[in-house]
Amino acid sequence: MAKKVAHIVKLQIPAGKATPAPPVGPALGQAGINIMGFTKDFNARTADQAGMIIPVVITVYEDRSFDFITKTPPAATLLKKAAGVEHGSGEPNTNKVAEVTKDQVKQIAETKMQDLNAADVEAAMRMVEGTARSMGFTVKD
Amino acid sequence: MEWQKLTVFTSNEAVAAVANLLLESGVAGIQIEDAADLNKIKAKYGEAVAAQAPVTNGAQVSAYFQSELPDLSTLQQHVTDLAQFGLDPSPARVEVTADDDSTWKDNWEAYYHPLRVTRYLTVAPSWSDYQPQQVQEQVIRLDPGQSFGTGTHPTTVLSLEALEQTVRGGESMIDVGTGSGVLSIAAKLLGAADVAAYDVDQVAVVAAQKNIALNPDAGEIKTGINDLLKGIVTPVDLIVANILPEALLPLIPQAKALLNPNGHFLLAGIIAARGPEIQAALEASGFQVVQQLTHAGWVALIAEHAGKDE
Repeated sequence: MAKKVAHIVKLQIPAGKATPAPPVGPALGQAGINIMGFTKDFNARTADQAGMIIPVVITVYEDRSFDFITKTPPAATLLKKAAGVEHGSGEPNTNKVAEVTKDQVKQIAETKMQDLNAADVEAAMRMVEGTARSMGFTVKD
Repeated sequence: MEWQKLTVFTSNEAVAAVANLLLESGVAGIQIEDAADLNKIKAKYGEAVAAQAPVTNGAQVSAYFQSELPDLSTLQQHVTDLAQFGLDPSPARVEVTADDDSTWKDNWEAYYHPLRVTRYLTVAPSWSDYQPQQVQEQVIRLDPGQSFGTGTHPTTVLSLEALEQTVRGGESMIDVGTGSGVLSIAAKLLGAADVAAYDVDQVAVVAAQKNIALNPDAGEIKTGINDLLKGIVTPVDLIVANILPEALLPLIPQAKALLNPNGHFLLAGIIAARGPEIQAALEASGFQVVQQLTHAGWVALIAEHAGKDE
């Protein structure tokens, strides 16, 4: 019989550099996981993506064993990559720093639809487009 | 240790934008709790889900700060402004709470039980009164604290198996990246004569010292802070390293120079996909891999000098 799931923990942390400090420590400690066991696994599996922020979903079972899956980079990271910029704008209303196309937004929405918990691609596109605008990106047709 | 936990209460659709706001403020990572996640998991696992949703409505995005928080009024304004970009940020509340690491740091200990990890070695938490069940069984008592090496991780299991296969008695050994000290203690219990345990992290060295004291049967083990094998000149019969490939690669030529002619080099902490790369680096440095052990997606290698006398 399958083991029962006790906790689901969702983090976004730097590839190859997880430490027992927050947010990893409190998120996993409260779930009863051996924190150092997770950081060793995560760092080993993501060392080749150093410099990236990696979304990770950790499934904790009732016996406190766990497994985890790493996801594609966050929507905001994919938007920055598509626009060719390192950072969003600190004043997104007035200072536009980049632009992305609707096609790029759609592509990112399709990639991230599951992770965003969007009901359909249109909903995911609205989230990605809103995220882009909140970073001072112009979205053009 | 005291931390300040900054949480933004928002809706599912604004999570990506809020996550970016926090990550752009320079935090080392964030936690996302989204009511939609548990529904998705329940749909996937059905009856096998015992989890209760910590968040039953909307979503929370959290980050932790030890010193200076970002400007809260600016952050609050940015979250509220998400509505202007077509996202519903409601309830758009920013909250800061104190978080003491004693509330979570050691919770996992409740789930750490004695475990027979190899033919002869059992790892038991220091707070358990576990007694050996068989004459040849050796018990390593550990309080790993925040250091790696509870004995139950696949890489530690492989390292212990490799030690069990290699140690014949009387060897001199260096444990590189000792963590909790579990491998040094095991080596002594298996018969190694002279063991030194090094780690680059002082927290690990302190943890190793505490664990060595918990295992008087293992006898004396030298400990110290050291970066890999830098500065060490006395040759040894055995070098063991359960660390990540990034640290194993520079260690290989150092180990080659320090290992006695008939010595063994045990390498673990290698995720299976990187096994060939480490093996190639060993061979390029004049080592020969004589055995590969695998367990749960991890690899350990036992190497010796290429062309040594049999």
